[in-house]
Amino acid sequence: MASKDRRSPLARARGLGSARGGVNHWWAERVSAIALVPLTLWFLGSIIAHAGSDYAAFIGWLKTPLASISMVLLLLALFHHTALGLQVVIEDYVHSSAKFGAVIMVRLGCIALASAGITAVLRIAFSW
Amino acid sequence: MDPKPPISDMTVARPRPLSPNIQIYRPQLTSVLSIANRITGVMLSLGAVGLVIWLTAAAMGPRVYGEVHAVIASWGGRIILFGFTFAFFMHLCGGIRHLVWDTVHGFELRWIYISGWAVVVGSIALTWVTWTVSLLLAG
Amino acid sequence: MIIESSNQVPRVTLLKRFPVPRNFKVTPQSRIEKGRKWAAPAGASRTKTFEIYRYDPESEANPRIDLFEVDLDDCGPMVLDALIWIKNKVDSTLAFRRSCREGVCGSCAMNMDGTNWLACTRFISDMSKTATIYPLANLPIIKDLVPDTTHLFAQYEMIEPWLHAETPTPEKERLQSPQERSNLDGYYECILCFCCTSGCPSHWWNGDRFLGPAALLQAWRWLADSRDEAKEERLDTLEDPFRLYRCHTILNCTRTCPKGLNPGKAIAEIKKMVIEREA
Repeated sequence: MASKDRRSPLARARGLGSARGGVNHWWAERVSAIALVPLTLWFLGSIIAHAGSDYAAFIGWLKTPLASISMVLLLLALFHHTALGLQVVIEDYVHSSAKFGAVIMVRLGCIALASAGITAVLRIAFSW
Repeated sequence: MDPKPPISDMTVARPRPLSPNIQIYRPQLTSVLSIANRITGVMLSLGAVGLVIWLTAAAMGPRVYGEVHAVIASWGGRIILFGFTFAFFMHLCGGIRHLVWDTVHGFELRWIYISGWAVVVGSIALTWVTWTVSLLLAG
Repeated sequence: MIIESSNQVPRVTLLKRFPVPRNFKVTPQSRIEKGRKWAAPAGASRTKTFEIYRYDPESEANPRIDLFEVDLDDCGPMVLDALIWIKNKVDSTLAFRRSCREGVCGSCAMNMDGTNWLACTRFISDMSKTATIYPLANLPIIKDLVPDTTHLFAQYEMIEPWLHAETPTPEKERLQSPQERSNLDGYYECILCFCCTSGCPSHWWNGDRFLGPAALLQAWRWLADSRDEAKEERLDTLEDPFRLYRCHTILNCTRTCPKGLNPGKAIAEIKKMVIEREA
């Protein structure tokens, strides 16, 4: 036992006190989840419908306004939900100082990946 | 008169052992489906990375897209894709179950268990349907 | 396969324990070693073997598992009866808490065959062939099956389980309609046995900051009480990423409550109330 904890049980339970927040994270996770239900099903259905299509047909579909907008929305909702979900997982299992670094990396990584994905969709929609 | 020290004060000869938790606690539908929802969620995070790779390849032209497509269509790629499909449906059905709970419905044990088995059966059934339809359409 | 109430003992076992190493994340002083075997007295015809967690704080030894053969014709039908029989007839050093022997005090809460329940309301005939008895999960052990619940009670104290009212005490009673009183049903009956909190994986990993189902159920009991005037302060205390939001609706709590209460539902109600004051 490196450092002796001489706090009373109540002090130990109270810790640093209530953050008086946290509902925004919980709510955003639910809202992004609700958005993801139709978006992912649409994506899955589209992929199945285009199973066996060649590159030109696939790009032709992805260029359409409906497909490109839906894909952008999918990427936004997906990476928002992923960032929130992974943050909770890290907070649950990582208790060392590495926790903050890990959460930051996950958040920034999701922003970067979402940007890359949206850029790809827009490039397809506008240039081909 | 001095108050008695708390019983968990470290005045005993050595720190108290901790009773076992996950080492002995019985896995139940509740805990198993919960960790499955988490594991599938993490798997889908990796799938999201794959989605971005795939979209970037599509934006880079038919040659790059062809290379990526070849990897996906390989036997290893198909097995991974099958796993992802199952993970997707399990997380989707589990997620909907969670959203229903957030409206404070379905908390009676009976409904917890019925909805839980529905998630398991639904995930397997939807995966099977998806792959059957895809393989038929792809020829 | 469909469980209708928490006192249903599962008939089918697909997985006896999670596939983790036997001593996963176990500190050296918590490692369980093999103990001794205590044979049944001569002449016992119907016996059952009980594997019981033992720990002696006055020795240098680690916790161990002792095997006891219990004469079922000589003791009552409940697991608590078997423990009392062992203490009377075989090993008087076996330590465990008990009081009412009828499932209302919460003293004899322990882990039997992998799930938390009260020993006095668990039938021996519902236990598996070799019954395993551990203390409540994830708690410091004082001796044998006696856990140290100081931290759990501190978390309970933190939610201030008493009536907060600035309105001066009326002459007779604080009025409450039958409908308002019914909002407390399913929450006031908690006996603070801590089976639920001790069985919550989120509390295992974050129990220092996550309040756990028992404290949160009682927090809801006071939030749901129409006579209480401190909803704002109570919700401020609870709204925290760890205190409240470590609950991921795993629902081991509702599955294991020996009084048939629903902590998972209570926590969902708290989360709903937090949202309602935001929007």
